[in-house]
Amino acid sequence: MHELSIAEALAARVEQHAPVRARIRGVEIVVGALRGIEPEALQMCWQAVTAETALAGAVLAIEQRPWTLTCDRCGREWTSVEPFVECTCGNSTPRPHGTDELDLVAITVDANEPGEAAATGRPAAEPPGALMAEPT
Amino acid sequence: MTEGIGPVRVPIMERVLGANDDIAAATRTDLARRGIFAVDLIGAPGSGKTALLEATLRLLKGRHEPAVLVGDLATRRDGDRLARWCDRVVQISTGEGCHLEAGQVRDALRGLDLRGVDLLLIENVGNLICPVGFDLGQAAKVGLFSLTEGDDKAAKHPYLVTEADLLLLNKSDLAPYVSFDRAGFESDVRLLNATVPILDLSARTEEGIDAWLAWLDAGVASVLRGRPTA
Repeated sequence: MHELSIAEALAARVEQHAPVRARIRGVEIVVGALRGIEPEALQMCWQAVTAETALAGAVLAIEQRPWTLTCDRCGREWTSVEPFVECTCGNSTPRPHGTDELDLVAITVDANEPGEAAATGRPAAEPPGALMAEPT
Repeated sequence: MTEGIGPVRVPIMERVLGANDDIAAATRTDLARRGIFAVDLIGAPGSGKTALLEATLRLLKGRHEPAVLVGDLATRRDGDRLARWCDRVVQISTGEGCHLEAGQVRDALRGLDLRGVDLLLIENVGNLICPVGFDLGQAAKVGLFSLTEGDDKAAKHPYLVTEADLLLLNKSDLAPYVSFDRAGFESDVRLLNATVPILDLSARTEEGIDAWLAWLDAGVASVLRGRPTA
């Protein structure tokens, strides 16, 4: 269930961008077909991760980028949510091409309603620690 | 009280997993500088990841200086199995996590003395889906399938097939006993990834394993060639 890790990473990203004393109303992401993300599962995880946090109630909008299919036989190109589908010309093996973006596109901020649950912003992650012993 | 202007949409455009990717990028740079070829081995539970690494470590004795990271939700069994063949083994317990993340790999590496090491084998959590999207800082991603899983697994896991630098098809010794459409498997792979090599092997009988070891040799050599001179 990678949707849980993704929801956690998304919440951390959004909190970094959240202005102090403002409520986050909406979060928009785009997801490429290769990611294999189940939107319902991600929505469920988003609810769970943000419940009782400053992000509670923020609506998650998921734009899924479909597969692009190319038929080597008739040259047709079209999009589909399924990677392996037959072409209208009868070719059973059109070539699927998917992308793997997973991007936070935008947030919607409501400064009118800071409330007690106002997001506080989260410090950026510490730089990764050094490995042991320098190369010889 | 000021009367506000209502909700405002703020464009951001950032990778959701950017924090993971940043750590992975640092690890990739560090490993390259040290001349370490790192492999992220991804396969289903029971596909033979640990068995393959056991055979690999045994056969590579004296040829390379490996370190191994092994991720599991629970138990230290895989780590204990591999520690018989390698001095540098770290078992990473992921708890509820269905995949390794860059921070866990980084932390595990920080606890290892990497002097002299030229090969890092990372056995990811048994799972064909979740690990693929999490960069660990590896030089190459290897997908492990096996004959007993069925010939449809490449088509059902397009992200792994697309991302993999090498695909292994394990348990070739069981070919007479299972119905596995080898040509169909390969044609599914080719629709998704026109160039990825596919090696048939058996970790148990070691049939075909030389090609895998040669691929590792080539990987180590390529990292050493590309290693910047200080």
